[in-house]
Amino acid sequence: MNDASLPAQHTKSQQLYWILQVAGWGFYTLLRIFGAATILELPWGKSALELSLFGGVGLAVSHWLRNFAKRHGWAALSIPKLAARIAVAGFIVGIPLGIMTQLSDVSALQDPGPELKAYAPGLSAGMTVTIQTLLQITNWAVLYMIWLAIYFAAVGLREHRTVRLKQSELTRALQFAELRLLKSQLNPHFLFNALNTVRSLIADNPSLAQSAVTRLANTLRYSLSSRQDELVTLAQELGIVTDYLELESMRFEDRLRVERIVPADAASVYIPVMLLQTLVENAIKHGIAELPSGGVLRISAVLENEMLNVEIENPRPAAPSPAAGEGVGLRNARDRLRLLFGARATLDLDLSKPTVATARLRVPRRR
Amino acid sequence: MKAIIIDDEPPARRELRRLLADVAWVEIIGEAGNIEQAADMVESLAPDLLFLDIQMPGGSGFDLLTRLEHVPAVIFTTAHDEHAVRAFEVDALDYLLKPIDPARLAEALTRVKSAHAERARQPDDVLEQIFVRDGGRCWFIPLREVSLLSSEGNYIRLSWGKSQPLLGRALAALERRLDPNRFFRANRRQIINLDFIDNVELGVNGRLHAQLRDGPEVEISRRQARLFKGKMSI
Repeated sequence: MNDASLPAQHTKSQQLYWILQVAGWGFYTLLRIFGAATILELPWGKSALELSLFGGVGLAVSHWLRNFAKRHGWAALSIPKLAARIAVAGFIVGIPLGIMTQLSDVSALQDPGPELKAYAPGLSAGMTVTIQTLLQITNWAVLYMIWLAIYFAAVGLREHRTVRLKQSELTRALQFAELRLLKSQLNPHFLFNALNTVRSLIADNPSLAQSAVTRLANTLRYSLSSRQDELVTLAQELGIVTDYLELESMRFEDRLRVERIVPADAASVYIPVMLLQTLVENAIKHGIAELPSGGVLRISAVLENEMLNVEIENPRPAAPSPAAGEGVGLRNARDRLRLLFGARATLDLDLSKPTVATARLRVPRRR
Repeated sequence: MKAIIIDDEPPARRELRRLLADVAWVEIIGEAGNIEQAADMVESLAPDLLFLDIQMPGGSGFDLLTRLEHVPAVIFTTAHDEHAVRAFEVDALDYLLKPIDPARLAEALTRVKSAHAERARQPDDVLEQIFVRDGGRCWFIPLREVSLLSSEGNYIRLSWGKSQPLLGRALAALERRLDPNRFFRANRRQIINLDFIDNVELGVNGRLHAQLRDGPEVEISRRQARLFKGKMSI
């Protein structure tokens, strides 16, 4: 929900409030007029006028009560505290209204006089009036308690809905932000080393330098546009991984050898953008780059039962440098998979062999 | 001036070689692709200057320096680790960012040259500076600024201004390389820098106590006292 929609929503709930107020009090008053005219056979016009007056006063008082409760922030109170305030408020507004009603002609509508006479014939006239007044007060008090109870129930329901809506929107926004953050960008270390290689190649091998610039441009463009797309096909991702590996080969020369086995059906499966790139970068950073004589980086993929299995295997030093191990990149990649595919996609780094690291990615094929 | 280039990437080594081709007074006597090779080469060829990459297979450039008995002048070359190099507190070394700017290289070389001229006036084989890595911090420490070296097991605790870094060597091994005109073995456990002595007192036990400037009082052992008196009276 954005701020612009808030006033509109506000007027909408105001309208609803007034419709319910008028309808409620109107219906209540009409019922009483009907009762006065039919059951008690009071003079029709006069009782209607009086009851309408009471209806209007009732509505006004309830509106004032509501503003009072709003001003004092009753909606934020706990249920017991709110209940206590509702009870007290009911009686406070009930007393003047009850006395007024007792003094009016329509008091006959709730007149317990005949019953009182039947149960306690000896009751004095003064006592009878007191009890009658108390009953009128209670009548109004209970009416307002019910009114307040309905009002706060409605407010509570509305709050609950708003909060839930906000929460779900918040969760979505958070997930979106998380995804953006987790999406790895190109490693600046790679970028500057690549530029250094290009500088060297300009003198050594100008045509290779040209090719390096093109590949570097491709890699940068892909990395920058990866902010828009969440998912790409394995083929698309492999395209950029190839450019990246070519650049790294120019840097490491014969220390880096690459083998790739990716059948066409596997290449069409969608995977999170920059994920394979991150895994390959890791394989070089913690594997090939750490070995004086380098080694072979193997990328293989296979589609089995609608599941894409990708393996990235690289040699690694037997005693890894302390900085190595499960890094931020791998953790982020795993979190992205979880956000995009849930529990169906997995990513594991197998370090069970002493001199080999194998990253295994499993992603379900999207229909 | 003899220099060695240490970098695991051949194009980076070639590039640096090309940049240095114009500098007549720097002669490249070797190239190494990892720190094992580099360590051997430094010991056997005794270069005056190292161009040292930080990230390399088998250990970083810092690892190499801690292994070297005699550390020559160092210019670090790095693609993106300048923050690591900036952690150094001494301007006795320089770093170049790859791709290397020729103007910056010339600047760094000028600095090395003047430091080298300074060093040439000193007698040979005397340790001028020492590379220390303690925890996450690294220092190039000029030994003339160290007031006290104390033995702690197989380590040496250096008193250097407000810092007390620990050096992974034995005191006896280091002693041989120290300038004898500056450093004096006060007792079994401590070597003091004579330039830092504030005053010397005769203690109640009849022993000499040297009070170091901004530092502790060091007891001179009975055996060394005569030698010490001789030295101080010069």
